[in-house]
Amino acid sequence: MMKSVFTHPFTKFVCKKVVFYLIVSFVALNFVFFIPQFIPGDPISFLIPRQGAYMTRELYEQIRSYYMSYFGLDKPLFDRYINFWRQILTGDLGRSFPTGGPISWPLPVAQAILPRLPYTLALVIPVLLISFFLGNWIGAKAAFVGGKWSELVYFFSVFSNRLPSFWFGMILVFLLAIKAGLFPDVGYMTLGRIPAWDLATFIDVLRHYCLPFLSLFIIYLGGWATGMRSMMIHEMDSGYVRYSEQLGFRKNKSMSYAKRNAILPQFTGINLYLNALIGETAIIEIIFGWPGIGRLMYDAVLDKNSPLIIGCFLIIMVIVIFGNFLVDILYGFIDPRIRTGRG
Amino acid sequence: MLELLLRSRKFIGGLAVVVTIIMFGIIGPMVTRNPQATDLPRNQPPSWEYPLGTTSFGEDVFAQLCTGIRNSLFVGLLGGGLGTLFAVLFGALGSYKGGWADEASNFVTNVIMVFPVLPLLLFLAYVLQQRSLFLVGLLIALTGWPWAARCVRSQVLSLKEREFVNLARISGMKDRTTVITEVLPNMLAYILMVFVLLAGGAIIAEAGMSAVGVGPDRFQCATLGNMIFSAIQYHPGVPHWSYIWWWFIPPGLVLTMLLSVIFVLHAGMDEVFNPRLRRV
Repeated sequence: MMKSVFTHPFTKFVCKKVVFYLIVSFVALNFVFFIPQFIPGDPISFLIPRQGAYMTRELYEQIRSYYMSYFGLDKPLFDRYINFWRQILTGDLGRSFPTGGPISWPLPVAQAILPRLPYTLALVIPVLLISFFLGNWIGAKAAFVGGKWSELVYFFSVFSNRLPSFWFGMILVFLLAIKAGLFPDVGYMTLGRIPAWDLATFIDVLRHYCLPFLSLFIIYLGGWATGMRSMMIHEMDSGYVRYSEQLGFRKNKSMSYAKRNAILPQFTGINLYLNALIGETAIIEIIFGWPGIGRLMYDAVLDKNSPLIIGCFLIIMVIVIFGNFLVDILYGFIDPRIRTGRG
Repeated sequence: MLELLLRSRKFIGGLAVVVTIIMFGIIGPMVTRNPQATDLPRNQPPSWEYPLGTTSFGEDVFAQLCTGIRNSLFVGLLGGGLGTLFAVLFGALGSYKGGWADEASNFVTNVIMVFPVLPLLLFLAYVLQQRSLFLVGLLIALTGWPWAARCVRSQVLSLKEREFVNLARISGMKDRTTVITEVLPNMLAYILMVFVLLAGGAIIAEAGMSAVGVGPDRFQCATLGNMIFSAIQYHPGVPHWSYIWWWFIPPGLVLTMLLSVIFVLHAGMDEVFNPRLRRV
């Protein structure tokens, strides 16, 4: 019994994917470590002028050498590299620079990122899932109905998929929040509200959530609908659907076969969409002041807070790699050719 | 092929709009005011004097728009062109050789495909503090090509089984020469389509970077994204930017139009070049 599990083609498939994503993680981590080494000057020199107005040369040097040893930047490259890997493997991402503002002391990077994680995931996961199901349903329906409706759906889905998300978000704020007054404009909570775990706070956050969600959702909905419609038209043209129609199958029945085949390429599309969505979410977070990881990373870039930037980028990479892995495995389950290892 | 293209309504319509936008980008900057000059009255709504109004810095929005179109097209050309080159290099040569070279190039493609482009560009924007338009285009070209390489690869895999390629191989032609003289010319149309999509992707990526302020320097280089960024930046917090709608609506509108039209152009070409879809 055990033996058959290990030799099953699906296990082999999963192992291959695990190895691939381990290598991707290795490449990504090395990239994250080595690229900032090319910055001219050291990150500390950006930090000290923010600390005080005037200081003498000796004081400057003293503060500088203190910071260098505090953040471990005075060690040779190899030691820092080892330390970097130790940090990754223990899950401790080091400490961020005290750049002022919300981060006025060397806050551990993990502590800065963790509270932001739910906000990003709350945008990414629902947008991806709902747009996938609804978009594919619309696309399949449009291909099934055909004629004028199909063309109309095609036109709108192409148009909505081409909208630049950051601009579309601004237009939504302009029309729905400012002109119509339906939603609050930006931010994640009404100014002055004290956060608490109660229904009123939840509804307030939910109301602020609507516009960022919509501006991402409508764009991705169009993408899925366009893809599914053309895949469906392609499948409806193929031999097995024509044959089943000639055998006298009901149209719904033969369509259900076509849908099963049309959805497979859409699943591989999830990977590409996820990678694009992570980036668009970062932009939408910045535009709407939504406190996710993209926003945090952006603020860190403006503050030149390098440990925080690296931490945010790492977490984004972890989300993307884990998401890609999950989708690949899911694809293996759904595609019978991979599941059984035949065909 | 060309006659078929000229008969495709999508292609002709798309081309007409693209050419119009290109004309705005080429002729516009020659006849409008200096887009960086800040000597006009501020916050003027659109009028005959200022076709699209003026910004809160006292710049002419129409002048910025035209220069922005030109710069966006430049990024599209650079990012699309270089991206296509990478896609062909990694997609065509490896898959034609097969075996080890194919595995390697496919692996590189897959690894880069997993990298999320915009956070990566945000990260690189931190590393490269001084960014010119050229540099931004280069970064986008370096990160945007993997899906195109996959498309090219699948195309080459089907082409290399054809008779004329076999014939070239039997007659003792070198692999590199075969790819360049036999395989690539036969997929020129396909590569052109990949270029069109990559250029559209480069334009939106640059606009996205600029719109959050990590694109090219906004005081030296007016781009469509930079206009949106300036509009937000000058009126931060509660969206005061909505009061000067003539500042941020036109760049996004042009961007949407350009991208939609690029897609329509691509769809038109697809219908002509792809025998499965051929209707014209």
